[in-house]
Parts: sequence; C-alpha cells; structure tokens
Amino acid sequence: MKKPDFIKAFSFSRTVYAVTIMFLFMPLLVLVLYSFNESRSGSWTGFSLRWYVKLFTDSSDLWRAFGNSAIVALSSALVATVIGTLGAVGVNWYRFRLRGYLRTITFLPMILPEIIIGVSLLVFFSGLGIRLGLFTVFVAHVSFNLPFVFLLVLARLEEFDFSIIEASRDLGATELQTLWRVILPLTMPGIMSGFLTAVTLSLEDFVITFFVTGPGATTLPLYVYSAIRFGVSPVINALSVVMILGTVVLAWSMRRFLKNIAAK
Amino acid sequence: MKRKYFTAIAAACVLVLLGSCSGSKDRLYLYNWIYYIPEDVIEDFQKESGIRVVVDSYASNEEMYNKLLAGGKGYDIVVPSGDYVSIMIAGGMLQRLDMGKIPNYANLDASALNRIRFDTGNRFSIPFMMGAAGVSVNKTKVSGYEHSWNIFERNDLNGRMTMLDDMREILGAALKYLGYSVNDSDPAHLEEARLVVEEWKPNLVKFDAESFARGFAGGEFWVVQGYAENVYIEYEPSRYSEIDFFFPKEGMPMYMDSFCILKDAENVEAAYKFINFMLRPDIAARVSDYLMLPSPNVPARALMTVTPNYQFEDLAKGEFKEDLGAQTLLLYNEVWRRIRVGN
Repeated sequence: MKKPDFIKAFSFSRTVYAVTIMFLFMPLLVLVLYSFNESRSGSWTGFSLRWYVKLFTDSSDLWRAFGNSAIVALSSALVATVIGTLGAVGVNWYRFRLRGYLRTITFLPMILPEIIIGVSLLVFFSGLGIRLGLFTVFVAHVSFNLPFVFLLVLARLEEFDFSIIEASRDLGATELQTLWRVILPLTMPGIMSGFLTAVTLSLEDFVITFFVTGPGATTLPLYVYSAIRFGVSPVINALSVVMILGTVVLAWSMRRFLKNIAAK
Repeated sequence: MKRKYFTAIAAACVLVLLGSCSGSKDRLYLYNWIYYIPEDVIEDFQKESGIRVVVDSYASNEEMYNKLLAGGKGYDIVVPSGDYVSIMIAGGMLQRLDMGKIPNYANLDASALNRIRFDTGNRFSIPFMMGAAGVSVNKTKVSGYEHSWNIFERNDLNGRMTMLDDMREILGAALKYLGYSVNDSDPAHLEEARLVVEEWKPNLVKFDAESFARGFAGGEFWVVQGYAENVYIEYEPSRYSEIDFFFPKEGMPMYMDSFCILKDAENVEAAYKFINFMLRPDIAARVSDYLMLPSPNVPARALMTVTPNYQFEDLAKGEFKEDLGAQTLLLYNEVWRRIRVGN
C-alpha cells in the first residue's frame, strides 16, 4: 500500500529533521538579519550597511583581537598537527613500554574540564616565571588541540592496510621514506581534519585563554565577552557574518580537496 | 607544494610570536574598561608621543584584579574603581605617583577630589571618570512616581523591573534608602537593608547587569536600575525623550575610575605622559562626549559638544563606594547570598 505524498512529507523523521535544522540555524539567521539592522537596539528599523562600514573602517581593537585569534589558531593547530600526527604514527607503529599509558594520558586534556586546564596552566606559567602573552596562549592551545589531532589521525591509521607498509619496506624504502611517501599521504584526510578541528577549537576557546592571556594578547572571544557589558554591538554581528562566509568557503574548498585526496 | 605552503605559514606564525615578545621599550600597556576611551583618542596620543599603546579590556574590577593577582605581569596602567584602588594600594600593587609629571591634575574638580576617601590626597590614583548607576523609567509606560528608590516597591510594575546583578549597588541602594552610608558595616543596618531588598525582589524580573538595557529599549522592562550610558546607547537619539533617568533623592553608590601605575610597570615615563594627556581639557572633553557623561575635568566641561546624560551636580548626593575590609565584606557577601539564593 502506498501512502499519499503529503503523509510522507510529514513523517516523524522529517519533522525531527526540520525542527533540528531550524533549531540549529535560526539563531544564525537572527544574527545575520540584525547585522543589517539600522539601529543598535533589538527592534528592526530598516536595512543598513552601517555596521559593516564601521567594522571595516573603525574597529581596530576588534581586528587586533581577531588577528591574535587567527595567529594563535593557525600556529597552534599547525604545531599540534605535527606533534599529534607523529605521536599517532609512533604509537600505532612501534611497540614500546608504557604505550598503553601514553594513549590514555593523551586523552586526559580532552576529558578534563577546561577550567582545570586553564588554572593549572596559569599556575604552571607563573611558577616558571613565564610572562603571560600571546606565547602562553599559543602553548595552551597546542596542549588542548593535541589529543584531537592524535585521535583523528590514529583512527585513520588503524583503518588502513598494514601490508602496504610491509610492501614499501620490502621494495627497499627506508623508514623515513615510508613515512613521507606512504603513511603521510594515506593519512592526509585524517591529518587535515585534525588540523581543521584544531583551528576551530582554538578560535572559539574562551575559558583556557582567559586564564593564560596577557598584555596585548586579547583574542576575539575574550574581546566579545568584555564587550557584552555594553550590549553586543551589531559590529560583532557583522564580523560573525563575515566569519560564517569565510568558514563556508573554507569548508567547501576543503571538501573538494579531501575528496581529491581520497580519490587518489 | 602543499608542504611549502605549510612551512610558510609556520614560519610566519613563529615570526609574529617572536615579534610580539620583544621590543616593549616604546610601548605602553594599558589595561582598561572596555569602550572607555575612544580609539581615535588613543591614536592621537600615539601620533603625538610616538609611543605605541597596547590596550586590553576587562569588564569588571574583579576580573582585572584577579588577573593581576594571578601573575598577569606586563601592564603599565590600570583603571580600577575607588574601592579597588584602596585594595590595590593595600596589596602594594601600585606606585606612588610623582605629581610633578602630571601638571594637568590641576584641571580636576576639587569638590570631587575632596570627597575621595579610597586614596585621600591622590597619592596613588588620578581620577578619570566619575558616575553612578541610577534608575531609568520608560515615561511612555509609567507615570506618577517619585524620584526615589521606592519605585521598586510598586507591585503594579511587577515583572517590568530589573536591578543590577551587583552586590554593592543593590545593598548600597537599600542602605541609602534607609538613610545609611553605602559603606555601612553595622550588621543590624545590613539586616534592615536585606529586608528592603527582599521587599523589592518579588517585583523584579531579575538581577541583571548585561542585557537589561536592551530589554528596556525593546519595551520589555519599564523600570531598570543601571548605568545611563548602557541605556542611552540602545536608543536612537530621536527617542531619548522617552527615558527618564534619575538618581534617587536618597542618594546612591558612586564610582570613581582612576588611572593607576602598577608597581612593576616597565614604561613609567610613557604612563605619566599618557595620564597627563588624558587630563588635557580637549581630550577629556572628547572622552566625555563619547561616553555622554559629565566630566570631573573643569576646563573640559566648556569644550564638550554633547549634552551628557546627567549633570555633574547630580552626583552631589552620591557616595563613593569604599573598600569594606575583609570582615565587613564577608558580612555583605552573606547578606547578598541570602538575597540571591534564599535562606
């Protein structure tokens, strides 16, 4: 028996799907809408680009905070990706004492509440007499990004055929050549998703950054937080729209990039 | 090809990180309230003096104080409010100032300076801005009220009023309403104050310091306690006449935000130059115009082009919040906890 089309359209799973999508995207929609509002207040008074003009001409503090966020995100994600990938390859490839412990300990920063990591890093840095600033934020972000990269790369490594590596060694490649020519290209999708996850996590982190930041190292989330006291300015909405667009473009091109790799 | 790209990013990032660690000689690190000094004023100072100013912002005294206490080194100037000035003096965090380097100090209103108790004689702090939280009423919705704290007793405005989520502001308001000092340390007086707040509380939607102004502008709340600048910024100038902002006749707690130079400041000379620059009448007037607040800087008042949200004289009935001392602070905390959480 075939159900009529309109019943299909209102099936349970579709409703859940629609509600979920709405729940996820409505706030973003409101944000985008109000970035074009003429007035500052919550009521709609007319279309205007004044907040975008203000964003690009008269918001140097905001851009400095954004710049700090970008520097920290890219550099910490990069370093975390390199260390995390090498760590995952090592743990997967070699057998050594404490290997099991190493795997478990690496996940610890993922499970620990951020506030504990933040406080302990702060105590650590002040104990060593390291001056708080962009560098300490960078170190902190590398430390919490590491397990994510490690996990993603490890998952990818566990899934591919070990005999390829044996074949590579069999055909005369050195250990290093095998790493560069065989293992890395094959795990590239895992590495790239690890890198992107790390960038995202770093960009949005508030709690840990709050503790380890210092003079001249205000990141975007910290800036937005202190700005809330004066009501969130629509300039921040405008910046969010620009960032959403940037993310969409990045995600789209990355997808094509990853597909190409996977196809190879 | 891909690898080269990554190496380039890595190299760039490392360079920037290294660059940010060195060369702090001709820089001034300012740790200030957010949106307190307009960016073009900072830029003018940079142009005039050749000193680069690096600004970081905080949203509360507690945030700033705890950051510094936890080892946040490297800042030169901070801008604490009165009570935190005395806390930081007691903690040995501030430098004794050399007034010879701040000739523009003479521009400040002596009547305001004389009322300062948190740093009598301004040995460690230079007043910057002075103000107070008051009550804003939406005139299109509410009428027949006095300019008094008793507006929060009105049952008919139940669910239309908010007060700040701030212990000193709420207890200070209640203490003033009863005719006591905002810094009163008598437990019996505080108990009376608590009962007053308990009477207000059922009429309030919430204690809120962040989004009340938006709710007020949107017509959701009709009577809010808060800072005038937060309320006015949500309004278009054409609708300013809808707002009645007043300081209750009984008086209110008041703040004085002051420039202080930290003991471990590295660029002391630059800090003096900056403070003196900020006290110049034309600069003080620009800041006051931007904030729409009256200036404690006497010659600056004539140079202002914007009508402030209230007049300097209105602050006469206010009383500066002072440091309570550890013992009394515990008492306040307990009373506040009972108000917020219940018994």
